[in-house]
Amino acid sequence: QRCESKVRNLSPQAFKFYMEQHIENVIKSCEERENRRMQLEKEMKKIGLSDKDQSQMRKMLSQKESNFIRLKRAKMDKHLFRKV
Amino acid sequence: MSFLFGSRASKTFKPKKHIPEGTHQYDLMKHAAATLGSGNLRSAVMLPEGEDLNEWVAVNTVDFFNQINMLYGTITEMCTEESCPVMSAGPKYEYHWADGQTVKKPIKCSAPKYIDYLMTWVQDQLDDEALFPSKIGVPFPRNFQSNAKTILKRLFRVYAHIYHQHFSEVVQLGEEAHLNTSFKHFIFFVQEFQLIERKELAPLQELIDKLAAKDR
Ligand SMILES: [Zn+2]
Repeated sequence: QRCESKVRNLSPQAFKFYMEQHIENVIKSCEERENRRMQLEKEMKKIGLSDKDQSQMRKMLSQKESNFIRLKRAKMDKHLFRKV
Repeated sequence: MSFLFGSRASKTFKPKKHIPEGTHQYDLMKHAAATLGSGNLRSAVMLPEGEDLNEWVAVNTVDFFNQINMLYGTITEMCTEESCPVMSAGPKYEYHWADGQTVKKPIKCSAPKYIDYLMTWVQDQLDDEALFPSKIGVPFPRNFQSNAKTILKRLFRVYAHIYHQHFSEVVQLGEEAHLNTSFKHFIFFVQEFQLIERKELAPLQELIDKLAAKDR
């Protein structure tokens, strides 16, 4: 009936475990990202970078963060659903 | 569009016999709005400073698809041709499947069929490199936001069906807090970036208000 379907049976335990981990990770990665940003600001201030260099550094960090979530998305897509 | 019955159309719509009026599913859900102790989801959905909006919407859309797919996977045995001969969200809302591309004329079908179509369609969108580029440096297409909105609008209907037709089973499986947390995350996200029109959210509006109020 559900031959070519994308929907697969899953145990409630697996879903619950996933959600608990996942929500924790969502909150954590949000905090960590904010920390990295603050850290950069702090260090740039310490060494007295020029405004131009500062905005360059901010751009570099943003780009890195952006690439990171793109790779995460590509991975999420493939790895999650292995046949049980 | 397969969205047939807005709240204003309800006068001309007779509730179907097999969906009893005042079904307890939705009432039950309103009393059981427990969530996981989950920290501040409202700020977690906000666009991080310096992030590209498309990138942020893309990663979150994939995330919600996964959550909904897993969630529905826990109740597939209870969502059958017999239990759910139409794709509904309570007595007032019924959905017919059309993707606007290969299926232009809406098909009236059972909920499990509809959800199969829907999830398969979403997966195909997410796998399409032209729509969701996965390689570093490849830009998003110009119509990315409107694509993402259509995906999220359709994913919402799976939540709506589960809440209205399967909530007591969700409670039996002890996963209502997990469902609520997943849905809350989803709603906060679509609210933050106005990704789903209010009229589309009507089947779960009361719950949405309740979940939102709890988190202020
Ligand atoms: Zn069903």
